[in-house]
Amino acid sequence: MIDRPDLETLLGAMAATLSNEVVPASTGVAQHAARVVANLCLILQRETALGAGRERDASKAVAALLGGREEGETLGELSEALERRIMDCDDAFAEEVRRVLLEDARRRLTIDRPGYAP
Amino acid sequence: MIESEFSELASRLSRILPRHPAVSVTGAASLGAQRGTFMIEIGGSGGRTAVAQVSSGPLDVTSVDLEARLIQHAARVGVRVPEVLAWDVEAGVIISERVDGETIPRRILRMTAADETLGRRLVRDCGHSLAVLHGAPVQGFSELPDQSEPTCYVETLTDLVDSLEAPNPSFRLGLRWLARNAPERSRSACLVHGDFRNGNIIVDQNGLAAVLDWELAHLGDPMEDLAWICLRTWRFGEDANEVGGFGRLESLREAYEEAGGTFRPEAFRWWTAARTLWWAVGLARQAKAFVDGDTTSIVLAASGRRVVELEYDLLMEIG
Repeated sequence: MIDRPDLETLLGAMAATLSNEVVPASTGVAQHAARVVANLCLILQRETALGAGRERDASKAVAALLGGREEGETLGELSEALERRIMDCDDAFAEEVRRVLLEDARRRLTIDRPGYAP
Repeated sequence: MIESEFSELASRLSRILPRHPAVSVTGAASLGAQRGTFMIEIGGSGGRTAVAQVSSGPLDVTSVDLEARLIQHAARVGVRVPEVLAWDVEAGVIISERVDGETIPRRILRMTAADETLGRRLVRDCGHSLAVLHGAPVQGFSELPDQSEPTCYVETLTDLVDSLEAPNPSFRLGLRWLARNAPERSRSACLVHGDFRNGNIIVDQNGLAAVLDWELAHLGDPMEDLAWICLRTWRFGEDANEVGGFGRLESLREAYEEAGGTFRPEAFRWWTAARTLWWAVGLARQAKAFVDGDTTSIVLAASGRRVVELEYDLLMEIG
């Protein structure tokens, strides 16, 4: 009933295989593609662990910024609503938005590029 | 490319060069979607080594001629560039001398890490080159677009963000900031390289050996070039060295001003934010091309996962 290895483990193994076996055995364009795919596997591995929580936190923060939102709106819908507010907002709101987006960017970076945000 | 294709290419290149010497293609340095770069020998084995850039996508017949003339102009005003040996608009080819040195950014950073004085010379060479380029009168390039007006640049960026068709509040916040903080336009538009960065230079043990890739050159604000080379994304992890990961901004500025350039701090900050947003949108568009099915390139798909780095840089810049 339970598949093993699980998603996280497989992604890690795929990254390691690409890095340790495919990259050294290839050259040029193929080698570069293998490196890129290995890195994507690691990104996806982190996303399986952290992605749902990140999206939940982002939705909560944006909904709080906007105020009066309906239950169950997707992050995409909330982002669209936030975009519409941004262009005509005052400086105080813009700074609040910047802080929320920066915090979300930090969380996304823990998935896409750990260590990028100090 | 297979051997017969190399042979066919060599024949084409021979027909382009004066007196049609024998040409052999000795390797491919890079093969992009739009352009391939090939190492060649002119005049038989042991002959002069050179580089042929061949457009492989839909040909823009003005761009090859324009790029060749831009490189020659840069040489005349004192920027180190490979000597252009020949070009052919119909074939989409530019043949230049081969300049020895390193082009791979991380290898350049290993060189400068091993030799501190090289990093200092390199950043000063970059400052000097940009100053002489920006300071030179521009004649004979009336076809170049003028991107020096900040508010027009914001309009261009807005169109690009709209074309993504997906919400991105960070981009919208960046556009808001750019619109409200536009600097005074540079006194006169000058020729800017448009893509002067670690990754488009050849470096040897003396410093800057040549500046490459002039196809994005345009009339613009000189601070655009200085901002671009200092973007964090071009530091390849050496974040403390603002200039390409190999040198400090204060040294770049010093060399730029010594060679006659004027450094405008507010404009530099504005163009840093503008070009960060521009590159973020560029990466997002690459990923969109994959999502839309216009490309199967996993490398372009992966660009979508780099966007957040530029968003972070932008949000830090406008705070």
